[in-house]
Amino acid sequence: MRPLTEDETKVFFEKLTKYIGKNVLHLVDRSDETYYFRLHNEKVYYVSDSMLRQAVSIGRDQLASLGVCFGKFTKSKKFKLHITALDYLAQYAKYKLWIKPNGEGSFLYGNHVLKAHIGRITEDTPEHQGVIIFSMSDIPLGFGVTARSTVEIRKLKPTDIVAFHQADIGEYLREQDTLF
Amino acid sequence: MDVSAQLEAQKSKFKSINVEKQVPLQFDLGLLASFDTNALEENKLKTETDNYLKTYTRDGTQLLINEIFQLPLTSVQDVGVVVELPKIVTAIPREKPLPKPNPPTRWERFAKIKGIKKNKKSKLIYDEEKGEWVPRWGYKGANDDGSNEWLVPVPDNADPFEDQFTKLREAKKVRISKNEARRRRNMDEAETGETQKLENKSKAGAKALKKTELHQQISVAKTSTASLGKFDKPIKGEPSNTKGVKRKFEPNIGDIQKEKEARLNILNKIIDKKGEVLNVRKAIAKNHQEN
Repeated sequence: MRPLTEDETKVFFEKLTKYIGKNVLHLVDRSDETYYFRLHNEKVYYVSDSMLRQAVSIGRDQLASLGVCFGKFTKSKKFKLHITALDYLAQYAKYKLWIKPNGEGSFLYGNHVLKAHIGRITEDTPEHQGVIIFSMSDIPLGFGVTARSTVEIRKLKPTDIVAFHQADIGEYLREQDTLF
Repeated sequence: MDVSAQLEAQKSKFKSINVEKQVPLQFDLGLLASFDTNALEENKLKTETDNYLKTYTRDGTQLLINEIFQLPLTSVQDVGVVVELPKIVTAIPREKPLPKPNPPTRWERFAKIKGIKKNKKSKLIYDEEKGEWVPRWGYKGANDDGSNEWLVPVPDNADPFEDQFTKLREAKKVRISKNEARRRRNMDEAETGETQKLENKSKAGAKALKKTELHQQISVAKTSTASLGKFDKPIKGEPSNTKGVKRKFEPNIGDIQKEKEARLNILNKIIDKKGEVLNVRKAIAKNHQEN
C-alpha cells in the first residue's frame, strides 16, 4: 500500500473529472474526515483516515481490499474505473442519463444504451462525455460515454447507440473475482 | 596301442553330431543365426515341454556349429584357430536414425546466394616444367605458392634489405592460421546452429533485434564515462534511463496537509486546463427566465 505518485494521480484525476468534473474537489477535500487515495496491487482505494491507520497493520500479501475500490491501473499505466466507484460518481455526477424500465435489463447485461431506451438526458451533454446512467426511479445503474451530443440524439433512429457501456451494477455478479 | 575302444566310450557320452531334420535349416552365418521352419511336435510339446525344447535347441545349435566348422579355418597368432564369417545376408533395420545433414557453412551459404557451383577438380595435374603428372596440392604438389622457391626476384618497390624468403614463408603461415580459424569458426557455428538462426530470421525480426541491440548499446555507452554518466547534459527527447534506479514513494501516513495540498494542486491544474466554457445557450435561457 502506498500513496499515488504524481503521474499516477494525474492520470487518475483526469479520468475522474471526465465523469464528475470539478466535484473531484469534494472527494479530496472533505469536511468530516480526511479521505485518502491509496494504491495496493495496482488498484486505487478511497479510504478514510481512521481506516487507513488500521489497515497499515495488515501485511501486503494478506491485505485483500480496503475502503472503496475506485479502479485499477492497467499494465500500460492507464486507469480503468470500476463499478464500485459508482456511489461517489452518482453523487457528484454532472451529466446524467435516465433509462426507461424496458431498457434497464439490456444495459445491466452489458449492452450499450440505444435511443429507444432513453428516458431523459441532461441538456447540453457534449459528445464523448462521461455520463452516469440512472433508472427512472433515480437508482444509479452504471456509467458510460455518450456517442452523440444531446442535440444530435433527436435525429437518431431508435436502434442507434446513444451511450457506450462502460460499467453496470450487473458486474457485481459477472465479475465478482476481479472487481475488488 | 589301440585306443579305439576308449574313443568309442568317449563318443557315446555325447549325442551324435548328425541331426536329421525334415526341412533343412537356413543359415546366416554372418549373424550366427539359423532359421528353422520345421513344425514342432504338438503332443511332445504339451507333455514333456522342458526336455523337448532342450533337445530341439541342442539340435539346432549343433547344425549351426556344423555349418561354422565347414568354413575355412585359419590360424592367427596369439588368438588361435579362427574362422572368417561371411557377410550378413538378412536385411536388418537401422540401429540408429539417419544422420542429419550438416548445416551449410558460411561459404556454402554465400555460394548458394551467388549461384556458384562447385567444379570437381582432378587430383593429378600435368606439370609442364617437370613433364609429368604431379598432385595438384600436397606433398610434391604443383601449387607450392612460392615457399620453397630457390630464386625469388625482389620487386621494385620493396625494401632491398628485406628477406623475401622469410616474407613468403610468413605469408604462408598467416594463410594457414586464417584457414584454421575459419575451419574452427565453421565448426562452432555448426554446433550452435547459428547458421540456422540466421537463415530463419525474418527481415522484420532482424530489424527489431537490431533496434533493441542499439538501445542496449546506447544505454551502456551512456554510463561508460568517467563519472558513469551522472553529470552529462540530458538530451532533449531521449528517455532517461531508469533501470537500476529504485523508485521512492511518499510514506503511507505522512504529512496530511502536505498531501492534501499536493493533490489539490494537481487537481486544479487539470480543471484549469479543461476550462469551464461558458454555455451560451444556457446563459441566454437563464437570462430570459430572470427577465
